[in-house]
Amino acid sequence: MAQEGPPSPETRQEQLFLVAHGISKTYSDGTEALKTVDLEIRRGEIVGLLGENGAGKTTLTKILSGLLPPTEGRVESPQGSVQFGSPREAMEFGIGMVHQHFALVGPFTATENVALGHEHPFSRVRLAKTRERLESLMEESGLHVPLDVPIEKLAVGEQQRVEILKVLSRDVDLLILDEPTSVLTPLEVDDLFDLLRRLRARGKSIILITHKLKEVQSITDRIVVLRHGKLVGNVKTSDATTEQLARLMVGQALEAGTSAVELRDEALPVRRDRERAGPEGETAIVLHVENLMARGSTGEMAVEGVSFDVHAGEIFGVAGVEGNGQTELVECLTGLRAPRQGRATIRGTDILRKDPKDIYRLGVAHIPEDRWEVGLILPFTLAENAILGIHRWERFRGPLRMLRWQAVQKHVTELMDRFEIRATGPNAPAKSLSGGNQQKLIVGRELAKDPEVIVAAQPTRGLDVASAKYIRELLEQMRGKGRAILLVSADLDEVLALSDRVAIMYEGRFMAVCAPSELTRERIGMLMGGVTSTSEEVCSA
Amino acid sequence: MHDHELPARGAERTLRRSLFGLSPIAESLVAAVLGLGLGAIIMALSGFNPILAYAALLKGGFASTYALATSAACAAPLLLTGLTFAICARAGMFNIGAEGQVYMGALATVTLSYFVLPPGLAQIVGILFAMTAGALWSLVPALLRVFRGVNEVISTIMFNWVSHFLALYLVARVLVDPARSSQTVRVPVAARFPILIRGTDLSYAAFAALAFAVVVYILLWHTALGYEIRAAGFNPRAAKYGGIKSRRTMVVSFLLGGMSAGLAGAAMTMGTPPSYAVFAGLSQIANLGFNGMAVAMVGRNHPLGMIASALFFGGLAAGAREMQMTAGVPTEMVSVVQGVIVVTLAVPELVHIFRIFRGRWPRLLGKRGEA
Repeated sequence: MAQEGPPSPETRQEQLFLVAHGISKTYSDGTEALKTVDLEIRRGEIVGLLGENGAGKTTLTKILSGLLPPTEGRVESPQGSVQFGSPREAMEFGIGMVHQHFALVGPFTATENVALGHEHPFSRVRLAKTRERLESLMEESGLHVPLDVPIEKLAVGEQQRVEILKVLSRDVDLLILDEPTSVLTPLEVDDLFDLLRRLRARGKSIILITHKLKEVQSITDRIVVLRHGKLVGNVKTSDATTEQLARLMVGQALEAGTSAVELRDEALPVRRDRERAGPEGETAIVLHVENLMARGSTGEMAVEGVSFDVHAGEIFGVAGVEGNGQTELVECLTGLRAPRQGRATIRGTDILRKDPKDIYRLGVAHIPEDRWEVGLILPFTLAENAILGIHRWERFRGPLRMLRWQAVQKHVTELMDRFEIRATGPNAPAKSLSGGNQQKLIVGRELAKDPEVIVAAQPTRGLDVASAKYIRELLEQMRGKGRAILLVSADLDEVLALSDRVAIMYEGRFMAVCAPSELTRERIGMLMGGVTSTSEEVCSA
Repeated sequence: MHDHELPARGAERTLRRSLFGLSPIAESLVAAVLGLGLGAIIMALSGFNPILAYAALLKGGFASTYALATSAACAAPLLLTGLTFAICARAGMFNIGAEGQVYMGALATVTLSYFVLPPGLAQIVGILFAMTAGALWSLVPALLRVFRGVNEVISTIMFNWVSHFLALYLVARVLVDPARSSQTVRVPVAARFPILIRGTDLSYAAFAALAFAVVVYILLWHTALGYEIRAAGFNPRAAKYGGIKSRRTMVVSFLLGGMSAGLAGAAMTMGTPPSYAVFAGLSQIANLGFNGMAVAMVGRNHPLGMIASALFFGGLAAGAREMQMTAGVPTEMVSVVQGVIVVTLAVPELVHIFRIFRGRWPRLLGKRGEA
């Protein structure tokens, strides 16, 4: 990431734009998301808002951008107290937010999307005028997007730029970006940061919500750290060390090598009847995929001929920007999508076009990338979720084929114990759990299947540091027990740290399959962006 | 958290969670009170004495053995048609086809008149006829939904009309009583549900309804199939991930619903004196399907909750006559009360249903994990 010092401290840098005093937010269910947080935003500065999941970052910015009213506290500007009843009022005051999930209308062009909500509801939509304005704005800011192409045809990075443009077109002075880099390639991140620097130079203030330490250090002037709804740090970026920030954020020293988790052996029994260490030992191929092709949900080719093997006791990582076919690849291998062609076997048994249930019986566990819509049934209780997919186990079947809730209850209490799932009890609804605990529930459920192959898609996305660490350690333990693990993650650090071999996926193909040590970050960045240095990437792996 | 030693009480807790969770019950009660209150205002505005009227309603619905028996008799078919809606709602669908399925079930039972069967067997055959007819009638919308993606709301409405006119035709032309052209042939004496309390309409049909509700409850909350139905109803994607075939759960829930509605039809023909037949205008079986939806809503789509709400609506229906006689308030006022209750309840319930439909829990509920 290019390093660049903050701009020369001009006088306007010191100008206050917005001050939040003692902001507290308690949700109707009693969750205290924020506890008396003070925050100052000056003109022409980039503030990093750092914190784990559930730290209150999103709540704080939602309050600043008028989406939520604070329970206590007030927001002031140098001109006096301000109160936003809606995002529109905040926008009129000069605060705009770019959310993690874009609020764009897919079939509309960028121009139409910007015009949307811009005009009075009953006035004529003057697209030409909007377009003209956007062109001058693009010229000014150096932010370029195709204006006449439907949004859904644009890359995620471009969509994000449309979102930023949309907010800028409202003449905002404070731009709030919620995890803007999570969907971008390294090159796109650089572009975004260049843009943010240009905006800063023009006197705009920017709040960057993130949990990525490197990013926050490379671009911001000041870093505000939240933990459990409290402001625990407010430091100049140049004075802060990575370790210091990490400590502030997590609230505990995270030392490499020390395992926060110790998994008891009986937790994950090795199946005796199916010992993995055969005569070939560690090199036994468990999952074999050959020339797999699949279409995506909109009919486009998403996976275009992918072949690889995953061995017992190996973590095979798939890196790449999301949306390059990883989702479809995983869905094909787990029975959620029918491929166009290709072959995939587990120890010689075909798994393609089979039912998820049958694939599970062949020894595949699947940690899906979408916790809320695939991995869990949110209104169901912890107990009910803990048996999803294994609800027809003999163990849970009582007389008259009734479900034995006692056995389920026992199973879930064991899971909660082993995987440190914190909840009020086995009958708490899954939606009441924090993201980390939800994921632990999914991982625990899947590992309870005693799988031979573990397909883990984005297993730590959006999780707090401690939970993410815990889940990575579980995966490593599984590798130690001889499981074959397919790890798909957009988190490059994660893939590189965990995998024995890494494939970089771009537009449905593997650009390269290498051992992590053979790859430099720059090279990965290029590969992820579809750039190959030579006509073909060759690795020893 | 560490209560492995305690005997697990999943069943009870599951029940408590869905039945005694404060807010849904409170919601239903608030709606009932609101409905009665608005009814009172309308009565007062129309020049009736609401206190007198409600006293009569209460008396006619609940104050004597006769009143209670009549209420229970009215409640039985409502409970069953309510279950039709509730089962499908749990499976993630909006089945409003109970109405037509009731007609089919009722008409299937009067054909018993063409057979000679001993008592006992006759009732069983009658129940089987009714359930089969209702299930078959619901099969087509179910299959259309599953294989052609036809919205079940549209198809069941259509099927209600088809069955309405089909029933009118069958009553007037095919199953008509040669002696009385205003009604169908009668269910033979051997096939009728015995009356429980002499002089009232309450027959063993009420037990049939109750039993069916209990069976549905056990099926939904205590079997793997029921688990699958509810899982697919809440989140089809997660269900698929869990190896659940939502096509199957949809068809099963539709068939169960059809059986329930068919049984409601049987309750009206085999279990309701004195006619034991279907009238030419379908008067006594009309609207049972729709009123059942109100029962399901107030009972929060839970079989046990619906037993209570069916008794409530049955009481309203039974008390209406007394109200008319004593306070002079037309029986239609009960429909007004019922309407207000349904509207009050429908607002949150509809929001809920749309959430399920769109499968967008996280987005609509706000992401607590990230808050």
